[in-house]
Amino acid sequence: MHDINHQLDEKRERARLGGGQKRIDAQHAKGKLTARERIEVLLDAGTFEEWDMFKEHRCVDFGMDAAEKIPGDGVVTGYGTINGRMVFVFSQDFTVFGGALSETHAEKICKIMDHAMKVGCPVIGLNDSGGARIQEGVAALGGYADVFQRNVMASGVIPQISMIMGPSAGGAVYSPSMTDFIFMVKDSSYMFVTGPEVVKTVTHEEVTAEELGGAITHTTKSGVADLAFENDVDALLMLRRFFNYLPQNNREKVPVRPTSDPAERLDYSLDTLVPENANKPYDIKELILKTVDDGDFFELQPGYAQNIVIGFGRMEGQTVGVVANQPMVMAGCLDIKSSIKAARFVRFCDAFNIPIITFVDVPGFMPGTSQEYGGIIKHGAKLLYAYAECTVPKVTVITRKAYGGAYDVMASKHLRGDVNLAWPSAEIAVMGAKGAVEIIFREDKNDPGKLAAREAEYKAKFANPFVAGARGFIDDVIQPHETRKRICRSLAMLRNKKIENPWRKHGNIPL
Amino acid sequence: MFKKILIANRGEIACRVIKTARKMGIKTVAVYSEADRGALHVDLADEAVCIGPAPSKESYLVMEKIIAACKQTGAEAVHPGYGFLSENEEFSRTLEENGITFIGPKHYSVAAMGDKIASKKLALAAKVNVIPGYNDPIGTPEEAVKIAQGIGYPVMIKASAGGGGKGLRVAFNDKECAEGFASCKHEALNAFGDDRIFMEKFVEEPRHIEIQVMGDAQGNCVYLWERECSIQRRHQKVIEEAPSPFLDEKTRKAMGEQAVALAKAVKYQSAGTVEFVVGGKDKQFYFLEMNTRLQVEHPVTECITGLDLVELMIRVAAGEKLPFGQNDIKREGWAMECRINAEDPFRNFLPSTGRLVKYRPPATSMEAAAPMPASGGVRVDTGVFEGGEISMFYDSMIAKLIVHGSNRDEAIARMREALNGFIIRGVSSNIAFQSALMKNPRFVNGNFNTGLIGEEYPRGFNAADLVHENPTLLICVAAAVHRQYLARSSAISGQMPGHDFSPGDEYVVILHDQYHPVTVKSALGGWDVTHAGTTYPIRSTWQFGQVRYEGTFSGVPFNMQVERIGLYYRLFHWGTQADVKVLNPHSAALQKLMPFKAPPDTSKFLLSPMPGLLTEVSVKPGQEVKAGETLAKIEAMKMENILKAERDCVVDKIEAQPGESLAVDQVIIAFR
Repeated sequence: MHDINHQLDEKRERARLGGGQKRIDAQHAKGKLTARERIEVLLDAGTFEEWDMFKEHRCVDFGMDAAEKIPGDGVVTGYGTINGRMVFVFSQDFTVFGGALSETHAEKICKIMDHAMKVGCPVIGLNDSGGARIQEGVAALGGYADVFQRNVMASGVIPQISMIMGPSAGGAVYSPSMTDFIFMVKDSSYMFVTGPEVVKTVTHEEVTAEELGGAITHTTKSGVADLAFENDVDALLMLRRFFNYLPQNNREKVPVRPTSDPAERLDYSLDTLVPENANKPYDIKELILKTVDDGDFFELQPGYAQNIVIGFGRMEGQTVGVVANQPMVMAGCLDIKSSIKAARFVRFCDAFNIPIITFVDVPGFMPGTSQEYGGIIKHGAKLLYAYAECTVPKVTVITRKAYGGAYDVMASKHLRGDVNLAWPSAEIAVMGAKGAVEIIFREDKNDPGKLAAREAEYKAKFANPFVAGARGFIDDVIQPHETRKRICRSLAMLRNKKIENPWRKHGNIPL
Repeated sequence: MFKKILIANRGEIACRVIKTARKMGIKTVAVYSEADRGALHVDLADEAVCIGPAPSKESYLVMEKIIAACKQTGAEAVHPGYGFLSENEEFSRTLEENGITFIGPKHYSVAAMGDKIASKKLALAAKVNVIPGYNDPIGTPEEAVKIAQGIGYPVMIKASAGGGGKGLRVAFNDKECAEGFASCKHEALNAFGDDRIFMEKFVEEPRHIEIQVMGDAQGNCVYLWERECSIQRRHQKVIEEAPSPFLDEKTRKAMGEQAVALAKAVKYQSAGTVEFVVGGKDKQFYFLEMNTRLQVEHPVTECITGLDLVELMIRVAAGEKLPFGQNDIKREGWAMECRINAEDPFRNFLPSTGRLVKYRPPATSMEAAAPMPASGGVRVDTGVFEGGEISMFYDSMIAKLIVHGSNRDEAIARMREALNGFIIRGVSSNIAFQSALMKNPRFVNGNFNTGLIGEEYPRGFNAADLVHENPTLLICVAAAVHRQYLARSSAISGQMPGHDFSPGDEYVVILHDQYHPVTVKSALGGWDVTHAGTTYPIRSTWQFGQVRYEGTFSGVPFNMQVERIGLYYRLFHWGTQADVKVLNPHSAALQKLMPFKAPPDTSKFLLSPMPGLLTEVSVKPGQEVKAGETLAKIEAMKMENILKAERDCVVDKIEAQPGESLAVDQVIIAFR
């Protein structure tokens, strides 16, 4: 007995050291924390329950014999709590074989994912891995696929979050890419399908790892990642905060956090938010911040497709997803990137019972060859599909423009919007008055006086919320200052909303 | 008394006048430009008339439009406020010709004081001290020395055509005078081709002290003490106070009497201000000019006298006699005013325009036109509101923060707290700068002159000038706020029963890269924070999302501004803005392993100084650019702004394309 306990202590000690002090020092020197340190920051102190600490790889080729076995095999797995709420975690250990994924390493990840599915708990992956364990060959590749399959099965059942804290290249990128959110750490993480060396040989492009797949690249250019953080500690602490918004699984309601912000709070400064000049932009984020509880808004993808704003807030303590056109950027029009960005967010909210608030100020879809060649038709349809399919409570506020097909897309009444409200400044029309008149009254195109009169006529008819109101496409015209109050009441009314889509294997979203 | 008056002004002063008129039961008419359609003064007035487009020249400065507005609304009198048409003799006369009363001095008084030379002559005749000088060209150094001896040293030798620091010498003795005269003459001839040289008394350590006078149509005139306005930046007043910390009773009386003599000499009937320059060394005072209008800084006089100057102006204009004599005028306590401007003190006081996303003045206990509380208090005169727009068409002063205390120290303390609680977001403000002045030792000691700002901030104003005197306060408040956030997080639903999260008591506060271990314990109505062995009770009713953190720290009331930005708490107090992080001890230990990341070197980039539309990029990659050359043009608020190279450089990359909407600090061009 004593001997066993002694061995146990030894084994634990060995496992805790991972790849050894030297490698830990090297990890620290890179400004990175070790796998276990990361878990300690992420989880509530002392709550981590580790599994499979003694798991070892089974490979014997290429020098990977018994002497090269390190208990835990390069990934730390288990569960614990964040603010008392259960979560499963795996944290890859770069100090052990560079965090390379072996068959057994993958088995450990699969084990906690299976458990997470069984008990309905989110999974957080802290990724820091050089890739597949090459010595193992196809066994490691199989391991990847086992994880992929579980990612897909868990999608829409439990929230899955990836934090990229080191390299993630080749096959390794596909597990995070199928999770719901990807966060990255600036300067120390990168993700790409093929690295800079291969890129150079194949396409002769000279590019650094940072430029090719760093945190800035993926949060501003590719849209692959949702947020970039300064360092490991910041990233993990912000992840704790983010976790507070999510429900445990697709059968549970969103978590509620107490708030002292009155549901019926009025904010008169919003009455002057929309400028008199319809072509002048304003910052839609001000409306979001002045609407949600305590001005606390967790924005996602703030540096990508900035013409649409997405993120989480709370109303009366309950999580809501916010989608808003941003007039400050490209007049808030919908294009390929913004449609994809918002569509995926809407689907996440729908999957996890998170009500959606949509603020609309959209002049339409972005015209042009680059958009059409890029397939705006199919990509724009993703957002349309997502909103139409969505069964969670949907509250929509039109602040200014709601033109053309984009009006339909943005959680309109026709797509089962539950409560659709409009500010007095709302203009719900097929297009702006000037453009409309130029088409309808083509014969007057050489008579600016006549055209101006027609424009004024069109404006008087459509540049207001009443035409839509007369048809019941909006439920009410509200004053901007009462936006929070009206949304809170709507959400309260919708709290027990229940509608179901017809049974099917799955829909066929235009991917 | 008038039944209806029109206020030919905008902003805080229009609102200020409306308040008094309302108190007196007089109806008010506001005028506004198209840019001011939604302005506060329009809202406050009983009626409002639009008088044209945004530029003042086409609206607030057009007499005909004001007069037409009077006729249209039946206003019997016009209060001009300050600026705009307030000192326009023709305006005052034209109103009179149209049978409308001008609430201000008669046009002849305005005319008499409007001309610098004529007003000096009038002052001399009224036995008012004017700066001794010699106003004929001086021929030789010997002559110069003789004249200087007559004036008394130090003297200022100045070229007729002088300017920009050229052709100016100060001499303290005969030798310097002779040499200065010669070199000044030589320099003037070379620089301006005009070597006429004059001389006047040089006032050392000059202070700007002005006397408020008030006259009526019956020929009575009194002085309502002085205001000191020496704290100026580029000749713009920044802080004003009453009384002056510099004057003794004898000087005060002499200045007051001279001011009244001058006012009487021009039959002055209304509120007016006689400006003096006072030597900081010898207490000699000399007349500068008379402002024939209500001054921006009039509230400090109202505080110490308990009078409503606007009311007196209206009554006098209506023909009433002043209801008091010189001996009835009170002088109680100490009042101070900070001008709150929409400008960025850290960017060389560049005016800031845009939307007031947040505008919450500090709690006030005094109000214009209302009776003054005996214990003094805080007053805010403003013309803006949260959600309003600061437009580029008018001056950048958006509010006046006025305090009244029983003595100067109390006034300063009150002002510092009030500044702490003044919340402005969306546009930049000079609040940090005002806070810095309020703790400047020379200001606090009263030992200053008009050169203070230039001397104390020779290289402009920057964040390093704002070292906080009590970092413990910042540390403890950050810890308490963080602990309060954790308390809320720990109350989230869905926790495992029996495994709920409870935040600990131990934390580490990171302020300016220093790690400060603290203990935070919950207490009734707040938190007890222990730092370096001492426990500081913090009591506050602060709630999440509120920027103003009001409470007591070890029993002493305080105001602070707190915002949560990512993982930081941005605190603002006494002018210092600090980004503070609070971690649990374990995370703090790991935080030390995190690499230091230098903020990006922005000198290698051209950043957009404002949100706007990029209309032109004037350079190409690889191009060598000399300092001062145009790099790009931005259109913001319909104005073209030209961005010029600050130094010689080579263009590397163009990061933004013409037609793109730019955010503040967005990179436009990268340099090599």
